[in-house]
Amino acid sequence: MNKRLILTLAGAALVASAIGISQPEPAQARIKLATLPDKEAVVVRFDHPNQVLVEEERTISLQKGVNTVDFSWAGTNIDKGSIVFRAVNANSKVEILSTSYPPGEAALTWSIASPDARSEKFRLSYLMANIQRETDYRAIVSNDEKTLTFKHYFKIRNWSGGHFDSADFITRDGKTFEKALENGEAKRVLVNKWDKVKLTKEYVYDTQRQYEGKVLTDYVLKNTKEMGLGAIPLEYGKVRIYQDDGKGTTAFTGEDWGTFTPIGDDMRLNIGIAQDIKVEFKRMVNDVENRRGNVYDRDIEDEYEIKNFKDTEATLILTLRVDGEWEMQKDSSGFESYERIDNETIKFKVKCPAKGEPVKLKFHYKQLNIW
Amino acid sequence: MRLLIPILALALLAPALSAKEELVTLPERDSVQLTIYNSEDLTLVRERRTLTFKEGDNRIQFSWANTLIDPTSVEFQPVGKDARDALEIQDTSYPAESHEMLIWTVTCSKPAGYEVEISYFTSGISWQAEYTGMVSKNDDTADITAYVTVTNNSGEEYENAQVRLVVGVIHLVERIVDLAQPGHGGGRGMPQDRWREMEEEAQGEPAADNGMARPKAIQKAGLSEYYIYTVEGTETIPNRWSKRLRSFQVKGVPLKTVYRLEPAKFGPYFTKVLEFKNDEEHKLGKEPLPDGMIRLYKDVGAGRLAWMGVLQSKYIPKGDEVKINIGPDAECTLKSKRTGYKKKDLAFRYNSIVGWTIVEDHELVVHNFRDIDVEVEIHQSFQGDFDFDSEDKFEKHDASTQKIHFTLKAGQEIKLTYKVTTRYGTNRK
Repeated sequence: MNKRLILTLAGAALVASAIGISQPEPAQARIKLATLPDKEAVVVRFDHPNQVLVEEERTISLQKGVNTVDFSWAGTNIDKGSIVFRAVNANSKVEILSTSYPPGEAALTWSIASPDARSEKFRLSYLMANIQRETDYRAIVSNDEKTLTFKHYFKIRNWSGGHFDSADFITRDGKTFEKALENGEAKRVLVNKWDKVKLTKEYVYDTQRQYEGKVLTDYVLKNTKEMGLGAIPLEYGKVRIYQDDGKGTTAFTGEDWGTFTPIGDDMRLNIGIAQDIKVEFKRMVNDVENRRGNVYDRDIEDEYEIKNFKDTEATLILTLRVDGEWEMQKDSSGFESYERIDNETIKFKVKCPAKGEPVKLKFHYKQLNIW
Repeated sequence: MRLLIPILALALLAPALSAKEELVTLPERDSVQLTIYNSEDLTLVRERRTLTFKEGDNRIQFSWANTLIDPTSVEFQPVGKDARDALEIQDTSYPAESHEMLIWTVTCSKPAGYEVEISYFTSGISWQAEYTGMVSKNDDTADITAYVTVTNNSGEEYENAQVRLVVGVIHLVERIVDLAQPGHGGGRGMPQDRWREMEEEAQGEPAADNGMARPKAIQKAGLSEYYIYTVEGTETIPNRWSKRLRSFQVKGVPLKTVYRLEPAKFGPYFTKVLEFKNDEEHKLGKEPLPDGMIRLYKDVGAGRLAWMGVLQSKYIPKGDEVKINIGPDAECTLKSKRTGYKKKDLAFRYNSIVGWTIVEDHELVVHNFRDIDVEVEIHQSFQGDFDFDSEDKFEKHDASTQKIHFTLKAGQEIKLTYKVTTRYGTNRK
């Protein structure tokens, strides 16, 4: 994998602490005679969200008795404690006796006992730093905004100091691709593609997300099999959205960060502002009542006037928030159909007729026991 | 190699302590034994050398320049009845010109070569336990390998040393590394009989030889509040090197996976916890497991591994539980929210509120996306004067904590609800 990442087989007596030299320099002089066994299979795994595990196989010729094998990794950032070294054949008679760590060196030596002279294949696993990974997505939305093609890309940047002549890279969801990767090089690979993924388009009014009260356009992808996804949890990553323009090409319609989405959850992507839907907010009533000492209630009536200037009817979702103890009043619009998400959050769905005809949402509530 | 000291020298010149010219012989070490403690920076070194004594007074110089030896701990002991009968220590001198030297005056009644034992404390040698766990695909078993890693930063090279490792927390009133500094000489000897007895009792049987070299057996034996691990045979650990030896290997330790929300133990997240016990049922329990790093790998088939995580374990006594926090898992999730909030029973004094009660409704949704059943345990803690009420099977864990434990089938989602009523001000009982 790396010219400087050396697995050395040394004649038993030849890797030794140099006799008579014991001055406290950072790296002690060590005399080595090295044969360099080739790497036979290299796997780079990204299962863990923060760590990269590299596995490589090498065939080492062993003599009968105790052999010393030297492994050094100058210039690459290997987590020494994470190194696991074992014979590929689980029933091998070869035994690893001990591991020694010389001072001031990115190296170790194994003492390996072999019952006879033989070639034995070993697998070496270790964590390697500075191999970055990044997920990103491309969504090509159908002209009618009902379905999309969702492409999942995996990008690797190799700053590890090592290079991979040929390695199997395995993503968190088990996709494997074989590539060569130089130090300093980055590669981006398409790992998943889902066609005909069902999509919901939502117009959302939520002052926590858009403080000026503008209407956001969201695409909502449900990570389930029924909706055409649901195969893997979706990693955090940028989603670039293109739409089929009906003329055989696509247009870029926006991008958003897709949050980590477990199977069953929604990925909500904001593609921009829906300027054709306007919401005007007015507080019509704001009265203190039921005063008891320093405690009082507050009667509040908020009005949202919505105009949809599009040619077609649209549904607007208003996500509103009230802190503390409060009660919805029955004369609110859509009293039967609102959804209280949690104590503080309430969601109204309002059908907005086309061509600018105004519709009003009345939200009447009482905040109780304030002091 | 003998460039590093301590040098044990039989001083052959006239007994004047001020004499600077000395002719010395350098007797080889016959054997050396290290007893290394992991709770303190402390190692008891016991070395044996054969010295030739003349009749009358013999001056024996012991020096330890550039090492981390505690001068107050150096002791001289004849070995065997003949030596004990023939040799008698008259005095121990700490020459003014060196902080790193002492001279014993030993009277010999019968000239001959005798074996003597010199023992002392040094700092700079340490050992650490380490564990590697290979967890099966379904998290139901693990192959556990325990290692001990000995690191020698003492300044001295110990060749072919018998190595013993002490597990346990001992009490020291002064640090050895401080005592090794100049100014701490002067013969404040500390009795070492207790340590010697401990070690002799803990001596393990040598393992049988089957022809091929194999990882050294590490014998474990309990003693008082401590455990002593004895590494079979001898080891050479050059100065500033570390050496890792296998302590034991157990295959197929049964594991239980429990998803836990227990902020007091595992932090604020709903995390995956792998559990087993250090007992016979789990193929362990032969000895306590000293504190050390646990590195976990997942067996992903065909002998290939994936990284699971690393954490520092605490000392695990025999029979005790081991819980390894793997961290949050996207395949089993918990979502919580407050669905209701009301104030009631308002109490006033002089027109100001002085007492009130808050009733809150909470909802927890746990979803198992895995294709196997999992166990879940959730702890919820509350403060102040509160009542807890739920139709789900919560039980009291302690005065402020309620807990619930259940099994969630593959793919199942469950919703738990509870109500907590908290009294404030004058409403507080």
